[in-house]
Amino acid sequence: MENITILCVDDQAEVLDAVVRDLRPLQKFFRVEEAGSAEEAKKIIDETVRAGDYVGLVISDHVMPGETGVELLGAIFRDDRLADTKKILLTGQANHADTIRAINEARIDNYFEKPWKPEDLVATTKKLLTRFILKKGIDYKDYMPILDQSTLLENLRGA
Amino acid sequence: MTKVKALKALIALALAAGCLFLPYESLGLALNAVEIRVIAIFVLAALFWILEPFPIWTTSMFVIVLMLLTVSDKGLMLSWGGETFFSFQADPASGEKYANLVSSKGLMATFADPIIMLFLGGFFLAAAATKYKLDMNLARFLLKPFGKNPKFVLLGLMAITALFSMFMSNTATAAMMLAILAPVLSLFDENDKGRAAFALAIPIAANVGGMGTPIGTPPNAIALKALSDMDATVSFGTWMAFGVPYVIILILLAWALLLWMFPISKKTMELNVGGEFLKTPKAIIVYITFAVTVLLWVLGKDIVGIDSNIVAMIPMAVFALSQVITKKDLNGMSWDVLWLVAGGFALGVGLQKTGLAEHLIGAIPFASWPAFGLMVGAGVICLFMANFMSHTATASLLVPIIAVVGVNVGSSLDVLGGVIALLVSVAFASSLGMSLPISTPPNALAHATGLVDTKGMAKTGVIIGVLGMVLTYAMMILLASLGVFKPLPTSEEAAAAPAQETAVVAPAATVSAPVQK
Repeated sequence: MENITILCVDDQAEVLDAVVRDLRPLQKFFRVEEAGSAEEAKKIIDETVRAGDYVGLVISDHVMPGETGVELLGAIFRDDRLADTKKILLTGQANHADTIRAINEARIDNYFEKPWKPEDLVATTKKLLTRFILKKGIDYKDYMPILDQSTLLENLRGA
Repeated sequence: MTKVKALKALIALALAAGCLFLPYESLGLALNAVEIRVIAIFVLAALFWILEPFPIWTTSMFVIVLMLLTVSDKGLMLSWGGETFFSFQADPASGEKYANLVSSKGLMATFADPIIMLFLGGFFLAAAATKYKLDMNLARFLLKPFGKNPKFVLLGLMAITALFSMFMSNTATAAMMLAILAPVLSLFDENDKGRAAFALAIPIAANVGGMGTPIGTPPNAIALKALSDMDATVSFGTWMAFGVPYVIILILLAWALLLWMFPISKKTMELNVGGEFLKTPKAIIVYITFAVTVLLWVLGKDIVGIDSNIVAMIPMAVFALSQVITKKDLNGMSWDVLWLVAGGFALGVGLQKTGLAEHLIGAIPFASWPAFGLMVGAGVICLFMANFMSHTATASLLVPIIAVVGVNVGSSLDVLGGVIALLVSVAFASSLGMSLPISTPPNALAHATGLVDTKGMAKTGVIIGVLGMVLTYAMMILLASLGVFKPLPTSEEAAAAPAQETAVVAPAATVSAPVQK
């Protein structure tokens, strides 16, 4: 089993706690990391990559002191080491222009509006990480209980 | 790598290393260092495949490399200034080169074995069929006659899954059929036991269907390889002639069992498989090539002059030239499965070419073993192992050993169909291991749907496993009485006719003609 990190980024501690709590069912299979800012997030990403581990998914808020979430996700999109890393923008305060930039410049995989439904967030997280695992060629058997069924079946059809 | 896996790897390595120091002579075995190394590699492969500290195909690759380094004629040898101070090739006491080293070319050639090519051809057909939606469209077309009564839809699904898994991998077939089934099953009442019947039907049919053709599943390849090495070929058509009726009977039995164990409450159901047959030039190339290839396989060497391994390469050329299969498709094929099988072949080569097989034969009085007991015993061990580990790995470990035993049991085995029936039944037993989610990837996929619990899977799996074995033996006895399997020359006959000798005691002779002595 590989070390795959889910990185949650938000400047509000209570929001961060809520996201991490929602993702608790996945903690047996993934390492869930928290960052209070884009800068801190980048540091965690660097450490993870340097340790030879995977950053599978980044869930980021948009409006934060310093660098914004869209800027952080854009930097991840441009980073070759993170080419397959999945990205979710989780925000209530992104305006029209921010949203366009999130799609064009950060190629986010999903957009969640606050407040979000925990089951939706978990389902989307599973789906995106299933794609990540299959794309990376990581042995999927270890992750069987939390993989997204239809994504897995569709992928194995060509096996 | 987790700590548990590292520990498993260490235990396996330690036990395998321990095999190097066993007192073989006191067991009546006069083995040289090369043969003992083969035993250790065999044990290492077995433990790696059972404990799975690494993905199974990596073990196969490791086996081949390890054999090249330690038991081949080009093995590791350290020298400095013209003086050799360490060598796997020579006896340290006398300094003489071992006479029973394995040809390195022969070991490498396991990956280009004609039976590997047969499988690769099968992969091309399956990839093309999937890419041009032939599988989905055929599924829709074939499901129609089964109507809307869930009982018959279940039978239809099982029949189609079995048919497809004769030509596609069991995993790919199960994935496709479960994907078709999942949206329909969500409409079932949560208390309807029938949901489990459907979820179980797919892996059962996929596993059983694989037994129908030589390319249906890798254990068949392992058995065919061992047979072809002793000049006892079973043609594609012959295999299908007994394999397909066997699959039909077992599928019908499994269908009845599922209906009985998990009665379906829902009165009507409809499977929606969208799409229509593609009519582009490339799609038509796929249809024609598929049909012609299967036809050539069935007609066989006696009519068309080319054997099934070469037939399998025709679609490769057609699909490559027509760009039905692109470079990306080629790279995306299940090369891991081919490596897995090649590693199994390499174990067989090591056993035969080092003379280890011969020494084992000399030490153990196989000829006095009861033939029926041997056949059933081999099947039971195989079935048991296949429930806990990969079907291919099970066959890789057992087939080379059982082949050695089989050719030396002598004529008492002939009433049961001889060594051919023995090895085919071992291949079948490997495919019948399906009582646990970990038994096979199709089982794991079905279990992951959450519609079937482990207990239900275990019950049906054990019953079908035992039923399948009984059916196998009944069929083998029937085939033997019909004279389908010609018995091999016995050891005595072989001794009288030296030309045959290599074929009998050294089944791997055809793979690795030693180039250097």
